[in-house]
Amino acid sequence: MRPSILAAGLATALTAPAAAVQASNEAELAELRSMLEQMRSQYERRIQDLEDRLAQAERQSADHHTQTSAPGHAPRAPDTARSQPMSAPTVAANTGTATIAPTSGAARATDILGALSSGSAFNPQISVILNGNYYQDGVNGTGAALVGQALKPPGVVHDHDHADDDDGHAHGGLNNGFNFTEAELSFSATVDPYFDAVTYLAILGDGTVHLEEAWFQTRGLPSGLRVKAGKFLSDFGYANRQHPHAWDFADQNLPYLNLLGEHGIQDTGVQLTWLPDLPVYTLLGVEALQGDQEVFGTTLDGEDQERLGLDTTEDGPRLWTLFAKFAPDLGLDQALQLGVSYARNTQHQEIQAHTHDLEDAIHENALTGDADLWGLDLVYKYDGAGPYGQGDFKFQSEYLRSIRDLNIRASAHPEAIGSRRIFTTDGLYAQALYGIAPRWTAGLRYDVLGLINRVSGDAHLDYGPSDRWTLNLTWNLSEFSQLRAQYARNNILVAENERERFDAFYLQFLMGLGSHGAHAF
Amino acid sequence: MPFRILIALVGLLLTGSVLAAPLDVVATTSSMGALVRAVAGERLEPTILAGPERDLHQLQAKPSMMRALRGADLVVAIGAELEVGWLPAAINSAANPAIQPGQEGYFEAAAQVELLDVGGAADRALGDVHTVGNPHVDLDPVRMARIAAALAERLARLDPAGAETYRSGANAFAHAVERRVTDWRARLAGAPGVLLYHRDAVYLLDRFDVPLLGTIESIPGVPPSGQDLLELTNTLKGRAGVVIYAPYQPPQAPAKLARDLGWRVERLPLAPPLDADGTGYLDHIERWVDAIAAARP
Repeated sequence: MRPSILAAGLATALTAPAAAVQASNEAELAELRSMLEQMRSQYERRIQDLEDRLAQAERQSADHHTQTSAPGHAPRAPDTARSQPMSAPTVAANTGTATIAPTSGAARATDILGALSSGSAFNPQISVILNGNYYQDGVNGTGAALVGQALKPPGVVHDHDHADDDDGHAHGGLNNGFNFTEAELSFSATVDPYFDAVTYLAILGDGTVHLEEAWFQTRGLPSGLRVKAGKFLSDFGYANRQHPHAWDFADQNLPYLNLLGEHGIQDTGVQLTWLPDLPVYTLLGVEALQGDQEVFGTTLDGEDQERLGLDTTEDGPRLWTLFAKFAPDLGLDQALQLGVSYARNTQHQEIQAHTHDLEDAIHENALTGDADLWGLDLVYKYDGAGPYGQGDFKFQSEYLRSIRDLNIRASAHPEAIGSRRIFTTDGLYAQALYGIAPRWTAGLRYDVLGLINRVSGDAHLDYGPSDRWTLNLTWNLSEFSQLRAQYARNNILVAENERERFDAFYLQFLMGLGSHGAHAF
Repeated sequence: MPFRILIALVGLLLTGSVLAAPLDVVATTSSMGALVRAVAGERLEPTILAGPERDLHQLQAKPSMMRALRGADLVVAIGAELEVGWLPAAINSAANPAIQPGQEGYFEAAAQVELLDVGGAADRALGDVHTVGNPHVDLDPVRMARIAAALAERLARLDPAGAETYRSGANAFAHAVERRVTDWRARLAGAPGVLLYHRDAVYLLDRFDVPLLGTIESIPGVPPSGQDLLELTNTLKGRAGVVIYAPYQPPQAPAKLARDLGWRVERLPLAPPLDADGTGYLDHIERWVDAIAAARP
């Protein structure tokens, strides 16, 4: 609308300067504008009519040629036959082998390859997503850390792993009050005919930059194969590959947070996926990853390894994953996906510390071995077709089970060395979202860690679960901004027979700047 | 017994996919599906990804789309970023090099014709604007005839044996469009105009020179405020017209405006039914023409 008003204004100024000067009253201006608008539309209509007639003449001419040309010969039309618009279409963004100029003789309607886009020619698509919140819990702001340290055997985990030192950021490191979680920058582009590539950077509230993902993926492999390599979020499970801004809740669910850490399986390596051409969507994948994990298959730093007489960190890849996803076709309005995943880290090292009553000394046990992880996931979506997401429904649930099969390699109690400990912890979350009104989504989540939470092997211990109920309400003001209020009732096992029960409240904002992203299912 | 039926069905599916049409064509919407049927007749049967009552801009990628695209020889999209929220993701995940944008297997209707609403400020304060142009070209039958001609050429390149079928199909469609456009032009001459919810039918209005009296949402992608509605009512009071909105747009504001202005209100999908062919598409346009023509003062 703006340009036409501008054009009208300009034209008015040019063609009738005197009038423009005198037309200080709105009515006169409006009249001039409407006259101009009328003239413009009449003119456009006449051009359109001429175009239509031209197209008609072309077709008749083409028909004529078809009739007169010998059978078997392709029909030919005059060179002028291409009904190109008066104003050239926006083809600047066309990539690839666009054939615009008709060659003589083959002057049929030329079709144009490629996709129209407002993206600037060769720059990557850039977007920035701002994610911040006002947070309040009933335990002096320690709640966000507590939910990530729910008790897993063997009781107290001496947090000694190197991940804290060189990877010191935590999405969940919140204080009571205002928090800026991160600004996530994403860059994506097609590299060349062979590869697509993306980079995601998280700039945290304190200014630290963390490389979330940076990978390339093949475009042209046959038979439904694709290879991805670099640093990426694994396709293990469903929630693992989602960035925090894509979560339906302000925080990560308990199983992921405790069994995989803040970032899930985010690692460097290679992924191969295969989508066979079957009547039912089936995706199979395998990944080989370096194994630098925060929680699942973590290793100690060189200093600790030497002090405790442990093996050094093995060469990668140490972390392997397998996954399969199936999605029966439920028609245009519904979608269901089921997945099963397995991950194995061939080297896991941890230090467990304990104290004895009436003693000050902290005793350390060093354990080494391997770690396995199983996952089941289910996602169901219903498109309610209401305005602005009203009536849309989504259900998502995952079950994870982590098994660390370790041996004690160093201990203050020499008799314990060599004995076996198997730590099994599982977790489940289930969440549902419903578009209760245009632009408003309500969410409910139950997550639990440690339905099985035990030590077996040469010792037997059993701990209870930690769980949480979460309720939220999201206001999707536009495609690019969201405001969210979230309340959670936490029941977290922090030590054997010791629970923290507290409330946590979030007010979150998510702002998307820049290009439209498309989210995978 | 049910097991045998299942076996038979699976058998049919498997043999079906072997003996099927010479090309596996996927259309993003029922209007593109209708166009494929108009051009290819019985020769091809498109798989359609989105129903006519869906907002193509809000749709999300689904595994069934990726499955459909996995073996496709050609995807026919409206384009110009209308399907930007899901089609690129679905195409990427489909692991099918043949249908990537820029390849022969990717056809975008909006790229074949001139667009309206091109340019303008690239400012999101103006809502969900797309400076590349208004993508809703499928409501203009004349542009659709041109798109059909381009589609016929594309199909002819992918399936040379059917070239004659495709070209004559496109030609027949163009003739049908021509006949009905003449009639529609007569019926719509002097139509008082339409109040739309979103600028999604501007191509149709522009074609027949029907005034667009306004849009209920003052900013694309953002619902109107009470003030917006009041202003619209004040501006349009005493004039004749009709309110038309799509099934996925909220019905309350259109109904209220129609009541206040004393106009008819029509709920019309932007795309024809799923099983529409060329004729079905034109019948769908006819519904729009009926609705607009009925709004005589």
